[in-house]
Order: sequence, then structure tokens, then C-alpha cells
Amino acid sequence: MAPFSAAERLQDLVDAARRVFAAGACSIALLDEQEQNLVFEAASGRGADLVRGTVIPIGSGLAGWVVSSGQTLEISQVADDPRFARDIAEQTGYVPRTLLAAPLETRDGTVGVVEVLDRGTGDDAGERDLVILALFARLAAETVVSARLFTEMGSLLLGSLATHASDGLAEALARAAEQAGTDADLADLAELFARLQATGPRERRLAVDVLARVISYAESAPPS
Amino acid sequence: MTWTPAWAWQFAEGHRCEVEGLGLAGPISRDWAWGGVTGAGVKVAVIDSGVEDGHPAVGRLAGAVSVEIDGETGETVYVDGPHEDRFGHGTACAGLVRRAAPDCDIYSVRVLGANLRGRAAVFAAGVRWALANGMQVANLSLGTGRASQFSTFHRLADEAYFAGCTLVCAVNNMPAPSYPSEFAAVVSVASIRGSDPFEYYYNPAPPVEFGAPGIGVAVPWTAGRTIHATGNSFAAPHITGLIARLLSKHPGLTPFQVKTVLHALASNAR
Repeated sequence: MAPFSAAERLQDLVDAARRVFAAGACSIALLDEQEQNLVFEAASGRGADLVRGTVIPIGSGLAGWVVSSGQTLEISQVADDPRFARDIAEQTGYVPRTLLAAPLETRDGTVGVVEVLDRGTGDDAGERDLVILALFARLAAETVVSARLFTEMGSLLLGSLATHASDGLAEALARAAEQAGTDADLADLAELFARLQATGPRERRLAVDVLARVISYAESAPPS
Repeated sequence: MTWTPAWAWQFAEGHRCEVEGLGLAGPISRDWAWGGVTGAGVKVAVIDSGVEDGHPAVGRLAGAVSVEIDGETGETVYVDGPHEDRFGHGTACAGLVRRAAPDCDIYSVRVLGANLRGRAAVFAAGVRWALANGMQVANLSLGTGRASQFSTFHRLADEAYFAGCTLVCAVNNMPAPSYPSEFAAVVSVASIRGSDPFEYYYNPAPPVEFGAPGIGVAVPWTAGRTIHATGNSFAAPHITGLIARLLSKHPGLTPFQVKTVLHALASNAR
């Protein structure tokens, strides 16, 4: 439904990250709806085919801690600790020497984690790599959020059209808004857009200006 | 080009600014603050993934509580008694605290568990446990960027401040909101190179006030092992340990006085 495939975009990101870090492997895992498991959506490099689609509980392993704590972490000498190594191997397909992981943060919380194994760049402690990984994490988080928003909005619009094809669009969207449950705000917004279509260009321009100012204010004000 | 983690460049050579001391009749010295003491008698909460009791780098815990979600009511409940460290991270933090303050009383408050749902409520309940049980300093090497949690943690940070419990919080490595680390009532910490807990720096501009060792540091991990790790979450326990030492010598200090002393004794304070 989104104008891009989130899975493809995340795969592009892990492919790019693996090249940038000259890493053995790179992966992105997203939280499932129950927020109990991490699902590896994209993987690149060693063990990628094994890792893609793997589901691990967040209650164990380093990726789980990163998602739970919201903290970026770099660990080296992973193989020195057998228990630790086993945990890592379960989610990466092999035991790396080093592991760098960052949470995918959004305004509504953490949605996943990006991991880079066996970097071939930077120094041992990965100061440079922490900065670069933060950029990848932000891109990945925004990709996930955008894809979900587009999908929600698109489903709503299409659902409305399919269900109420004979009614006016505004009326159909109004009904959808009533049925939308947790997406009611989004549905209300969609309905307003539909009604806006019937107004003149000056009114539409005014609406865009007002909306832009509201969003600008909301982004700058402390969240409520 | 020099690369440093987010919020760490302020502490790098050439970027550090000199900050004013208190200007008292006698200067606040490191000897006055924590010379000759070991943190004895100070209650320290490590709010994390649990702590491995008896780990060689941690020793015996003074207490342990796990914050869980009741499956039937959905409410948070406190489960007293020993628990394992689910990830290894809490043990790492406790070991770093122990290194700076060998005789402090460490309490493990486990808030990271098998489910992320309700995590913010569990996290908040862990802080409330620390306040209700007389913890004098609490290490929070975790945070939440969830906008809806802003007010909950803002209130908790203020409650801790007035309860006399200093919250030491690792800042987010990314330039994104993180609560409660960005609140003024807490002691926020980012990582710098080094291994000496007594070498730390002050930065007057938000979102982070202190820089402490957290890059490539040796940290204890589960099963009695030691690993090398990097992250702001390892910087915070160094400051937590220093505060435990300070409070063992000056038990009555309030969180703002604690911060004043930390500020005065920072390696870049003149």
C-alpha cells in the first residue's frame, strides 16, 4: 500500500550498512504486534538466509536488551563467553567477534533493532561506527513508521471505497471513521480531506497552511 | 575528520570548556568528597535486567526485586527475592558501580523482561520501588523515547529529586528524546574514553551534563566473565559509584548538592 516496499527498503539499508562498515553481516529485526518477539525482516552477509525470518523472544539476547533499554551497545570478544556466544549465534547464524546494535526509535517507542557484526572499519570501540549506525537506525525507523502510516491510510481509503462504492466518498469515510477503532483520528482526518476536495482552491490552501502550522507546533512542543 | 559518538564531542580535547567552581572559603576537593571511603552504608539501586548475585565483580547483593506485570490484572507487581540477569547488562552496571564504591549496598531492581508491552509502566514502577525503599542513588542505564511517557517520567524525576534519591541516567546515543535522562533533576551521562571513574567531565549545555568512561571499557558479564563494551549505559554506573562514595562520607547531601559536588570536581572544572 505504501509507495515503496518496507521490506525492500530495509533490505537496501542492511546491504548499504554492511558495505559501509565492511561488516561480516548486518540485520534489522522488528518487534511483533505482541511486543514479545523480534522478527528478522532484513539480513545481509554471512548467515543472511538463515537469519531472515528468524523469530527470537526479546527476553533474552543482546538484541532484546537493546530494544528493551533503548540504548546502543557495542560488544567485542563475544566468542570468549560460551553462553553469550550461544545467545548471539541463535540470532545471527554464527558467533561474531564484535557486535554493534542500535534501537530503532520513534516518537511512539522502539520498533526494532539494527545489528552489525564483525565490522571491518573503525577502531575497536567503534566510536565512528556508533555515529553512522545511529543514522542507519533513524532511516530504518522512519521507513517502518512511514510504511505503516501509508498502509493504514491506504487500507482505510480503499476499504471505504470498496464497502460504500455507491455512496459519496465523504459519507463513506465518515462511516469508516466510526468503525475504525484505534485509527479513528486518522479516519477523521481522511474524511476531512475528502470534504476539503469540494471546497475552492483558496480554502484548500488555507487548510494546508493551518495544518502545517499545527504540525510544526506539535513537533516543537513537549509531548503531552 | 574526528569521529565521536553523539553527545561526546563536548568532552573531547579542544572542545572542553572550563566551568566555575563554587568559590567557597575552602574548595571542594576530591579528598573532602570521597577520600578514604568506600561507599559503605549507601543504598544503590541498579534498575536494569537483573544482577547476577555473587558474581566475582559484584559480590553479594543487599537485595533484589523483580517488577512484573500480573497476567490477570495487568497491574505491576513486585516479586522480592533472587533473580537471574536476563541479559548480562545489569551485572555489568553493578560491577562498574562496585569498582568505584566497593562497599556500597547494591539492590537489583529488574525491570527488563520477556515482554515489551507495559515496559514503561514496569520501568516507572522500578523507580518508584527505589524511592519507596530508601535508595539514595539509582542507576538507570535505560530510557524511553516514547512521547506519551514524558509526563510520567518528568514527575518521577521530580519525586526522586525531592525524595533525596539521585537518578543517574544514561543518555540516548542518538539525537532523539529520551526520558528521564533529558530532565534537569537527574544526572545525565554520556560515554568518553578512559577507564578511571574519577576522570569525568562536565558539560553545561543540554542534553547531557556528564561524560564518564564508556568506550571500550572492560565490564563484567554473566557467568563470571568479563567483556569489552561501548555504550552510554556503561558510563552512567561510573558516576553512580562516585555518588555512592560521596554519600558514604556526606550522607545528608541532596541531589542538587550531589550534582554541585560532581560539577566542582569534574576534570574540566577550574
